[in-house]
Amino acid sequence: MIETEKTDFDMDAEESLPHWQRISPIAILYFIASFIKGLLSNIVVFLPALYFGSDFIMENPTLWLPVIVALVVFLMLGTFLSFYFFQYRLKDDHIEIRSGVISKKHINLPFARIQNVKLEQPLYYRWFNYTCLQLDTAGSAKQEAKIVALKTDFAEQLKAKILAQHLAQTSGSTENSDSNETVDQLLDNQNRPTEEIINTRSITDLIIHGLTNNRIWIFLGGLAPFFDDFSNYIVVFFQNMGIDIQQLLTIADMPIWQITLYALTLTFIFLFIISLFSIAGSILTFYQYTLSKLEDRYIRRSGLFTKHEVTMRLSRLQMVIRQQDWLDVLLKRINLKFEQINVSVNQSQMNAQNDKIIVPSIKPDECDKLVNDVYPENQMMTITYQKISKRFLLKNLGFILTPLFSVLALLFIIANQAVLITAVLALYLFLSMLIFMRWYRWGYASDENYTYIRKGYLGVDYYCFPTYKTQQVQYKQSWFLKRHQLCSINFVLAAGMQSLPYINENIGISLANETLFQAQSTKKSWM
Amino acid sequence: MASHETVKDENTSQEAQELSNKPMINEQLPSIEHLIYQPLAPIYLKMRRRFNLFSTATILLILFLCQKQQFFPLPSQALNTISYLILAIGLIGILRYLYIVIADKKKYFALREQDITYRCGVIFQKTVTQPILRIQHVELKRGPLERKFGLACLQLFSAGGAAHTFEIPGLLLEDAESMRQFILDHKTISNT
Repeated sequence: MIETEKTDFDMDAEESLPHWQRISPIAILYFIASFIKGLLSNIVVFLPALYFGSDFIMENPTLWLPVIVALVVFLMLGTFLSFYFFQYRLKDDHIEIRSGVISKKHINLPFARIQNVKLEQPLYYRWFNYTCLQLDTAGSAKQEAKIVALKTDFAEQLKAKILAQHLAQTSGSTENSDSNETVDQLLDNQNRPTEEIINTRSITDLIIHGLTNNRIWIFLGGLAPFFDDFSNYIVVFFQNMGIDIQQLLTIADMPIWQITLYALTLTFIFLFIISLFSIAGSILTFYQYTLSKLEDRYIRRSGLFTKHEVTMRLSRLQMVIRQQDWLDVLLKRINLKFEQINVSVNQSQMNAQNDKIIVPSIKPDECDKLVNDVYPENQMMTITYQKISKRFLLKNLGFILTPLFSVLALLFIIANQAVLITAVLALYLFLSMLIFMRWYRWGYASDENYTYIRKGYLGVDYYCFPTYKTQQVQYKQSWFLKRHQLCSINFVLAAGMQSLPYINENIGISLANETLFQAQSTKKSWM
Repeated sequence: MASHETVKDENTSQEAQELSNKPMINEQLPSIEHLIYQPLAPIYLKMRRRFNLFSTATILLILFLCQKQQFFPLPSQALNTISYLILAIGLIGILRYLYIVIADKKKYFALREQDITYRCGVIFQKTVTQPILRIQHVELKRGPLERKFGLACLQLFSAGGAAHTFEIPGLLLEDAESMRQFILDHKTISNT
């Protein structure tokens, strides 16, 4: 069965495979890896038992040896059965997947419903030229389908077929009349257009990205089980360097300046280590980053160990975010994000990162080029943004922060706590500055096609979305806002909600009307 | 008892439909300011009030019985706590009743050719407008109480996510059904 299937792959990939196919046995590797991953992420649960039982276990080799053997056999059997029961077939432009050993799962997915095609190549697949094909639907995360081991060529062909299928379906409609040509080209293999690489990232860029964006959680997620060992290791490491952390932390009769110095040094070392990890995380995710364009599709490829490939059709793009943290502002770098439908709500942050099309730490001119490429005629950086009302400051500073500070300050003055007063004052000034910057940054603008929002504290983020892609409009007004002819507007997009607080009532209403009109009058599909 | 329809989301339109939107004649966008709002079904308000009274009364009765029963003698401290609880729950019940009376009268919906609007809120007024073109699927939700009173809750799902499900409670079943039909028909009109 497996041999015939292999020949099938190369012979007639364009034809459908109406019979149930088994994937390559290499998938067993994948199942073992995902089992181990699952085990590691749950190891915290077993650790206490292992710890307390370790002496007992060590003293009775006759007991633990069979247990380990049994576990290994169980693992082998389990992964083999997972592999054995994993079957798929392609029929009438549907893809069907059967999987599961005890609880069976059957997914039937029409090609036309497929939102996203992703290729994921773990390290151990690379030598055998296999890859995982993941198919996302616009609907719930439950409907996701993943074929865990396909020959890379075949996966590529299947991907092209699914995407071409979608074009063929939509080309009948009026709004896509110009894409007829595209379909012909896509279906015609000889004439297949070549991919154009529109952005790459060098190691330097990734290091900058690691510094400016905390990518440490990529490690935290994977290393959580080893935290204990790790912290022990750090203590030993510092001891070897002649610094006894434990002694440091027990603040004895040391002068204040010495403690401060130690604290500063420790903070610095800590920050340095975190930055190193963050850089490593950035390289892990974005190594050999390329963003390329093929017809109306944008393809992101990156990854050091597991290679990810995410493909997005331009029409699926919901919003562009141009993100700059305070450090990015200083270094003049930008993270550009192409937001699609938020399918992956339940997925962990790490996976979400891999799913998104993000261009890490690019320079302003590169950013403008990319934004103009996806949204022609956009005025993200040239349009004048209207600030939100100053009452935003009054409410947050005047009615919340200042009274809170006054009460605290009064309490500390009565209690005669000079240090605490200084601390509270510093905090108050810092928060006031943040609130002021929040107000200063928050702006909005709109033109014929797009709505723009600017936000941020110390950094600055620009959001731009085609107005007609709005899913829902919310208009909010409290008594207090109404008295001052103010309101808040929320735009619900498939990529999340964007809000505009404290804007003029009339402007708010006209923004809502305009947005609704664009959403209702255009015949363009939002996805 | 939720009925559920999936709306076709693929556009296969050949001829462009004229968008009927009356105020366009006046060269002015239709405004959410000038919507013709309808209140929710009066029986829904009645149901909510009654349910609130009933639930408060039930809790009070249970607490009262706990206090007066002789089977398991409770320490005097517990008896005191129960007295306070009865007082607090009674007070909350009255406040909730008053709030429901005021708040439910502030719930309106409006139907236009291209969208549905729901408005609610006493101090913080919220007006949510859902364009019909963006609706993915429609559901009518009916709990046991709603079934008894012949009511239904209309839920409209868009790609905005579960957190932004558009919902109108307290519609008469026939109204809700005709609204659902209106939405489904609208979809087919605009897409074929």
